[in-house]
Amino acid sequence: MAPPRILAAKAADAPTVAATAPPSLWDPVVRLSHWGIAAAVVLNALVNEGGSLAHVSIGWGAMALLLMRLIWGVLGPTEARFSAFPPNPLTAIAHLRGLASGERPREYPSHNPAGALMVYAFWAALTVVIATGLVMTGGATPMQVAADKAAVASGDWAALVKDDGEEDGEDSVFKEGAEEMHEIAANLLLILAALHIAGVFVEGRLIRRNLLAPMLLGSKTKAEAKRRQ
Amino acid sequence: MTDLHADLTEAQPDAAPARGGSQSGRSVKAPQDAARRQTAALSAFLLVQTVGTVFFVGDVIGDLREDPTSIHFMFEATVTMALVLGVLFGAFALRRTIELLRAQEAALDVARGALSDVIARQFQAWALTPAERDVAFLALKGLDVAEIAELRGAAQGTVRAQLTRIYSKAGVSGRAQFAAFFVEDLLGEGVGPAT
Repeated sequence: MAPPRILAAKAADAPTVAATAPPSLWDPVVRLSHWGIAAAVVLNALVNEGGSLAHVSIGWGAMALLLMRLIWGVLGPTEARFSAFPPNPLTAIAHLRGLASGERPREYPSHNPAGALMVYAFWAALTVVIATGLVMTGGATPMQVAADKAAVASGDWAALVKDDGEEDGEDSVFKEGAEEMHEIAANLLLILAALHIAGVFVEGRLIRRNLLAPMLLGSKTKAEAKRRQ
Repeated sequence: MTDLHADLTEAQPDAAPARGGSQSGRSVKAPQDAARRQTAALSAFLLVQTVGTVFFVGDVIGDLREDPTSIHFMFEATVTMALVLGVLFGAFALRRTIELLRAQEAALDVARGALSDVIARQFQAWALTPAERDVAFLALKGLDVAEIAELRGAAQGTVRAQLTRIYSKAGVSGRAQFAAFFVEDLLGEGVGPAT
């Protein structure tokens, strides 16, 4: 009946300061690091040959994105901070049970408890992949890898010897273990990613909200969404 | 009725793009959009900077294992330290910017909501009919008779008659005074004797 309804609804859609609902648009650091890491994982797991210069470079890039996201978990805006989504398996289970029984879940200011657990699991697996990757390459930066490869290509095999020659026994066992873990954790990453996508899809349908838009460009208000079409 | 109203307000920027019917909305929103784009660009830059810094830190650690006493290492370590600090301060400044932007948006919403509350109450006090409220609202947003008629699918004569009734109910002489009715309070002691 009265005009305020429109404006009140608009105010509720806007990114809330007193956050009681997840943001309608995640901040750019969260979004860029999310998609950057997603691309890095897909490229390194499915496209690149392990140990290649591209593989190592992308791994280092993913490490940088992860580091920035972790720094952002302390320095970032409220909903990006760790304190907004503490890991708590009990509330996560309660949340999933609630979803399964069909009741409308309550709103959380950031990731929901199940999503939060997924985030931490993903970061842990990613950390393992990166750490074991560093062990496998002996911590060589992409620049060094490129230099070594160029040296080998030009016929100087000393670069290879330097890596494998010293402390052969213990070191190579250690590296083999790292390789094993690298592969297991990488597969785990892919499984977690699949679970994450399924979770976003299922929960989005259950609560009838587009959960993908806030991680892309945001849905903004209805009017703006309409105008954009 | 309410839905019609919502539709009208939503459709209005499309219907009258040339006129800039949403001047109030657009002029306040444009800098917000620019600020949002700027924040996104800053974030992208921060991430690129982080990638570069991480590569340098890796390089410095490599040097550290080779020869920690070399001038090369010490110099590079200092420079890299500066880079790391730069990234941290950059992240902190970005957070401040994002929060400032949100506070502004929230304030804007509150102001908009408050003004529209005032307008709604006043319309009620004047006992405007629902149709008149719609027309009055559109008129306040700066649409002219032809545009209002087009939006409402009514004849221009009808709209003109409705506007006349609105002005008489409000006790104002015409459109300028009608709009001024709501702006006046926001201006405070704007009108005084010229000094």
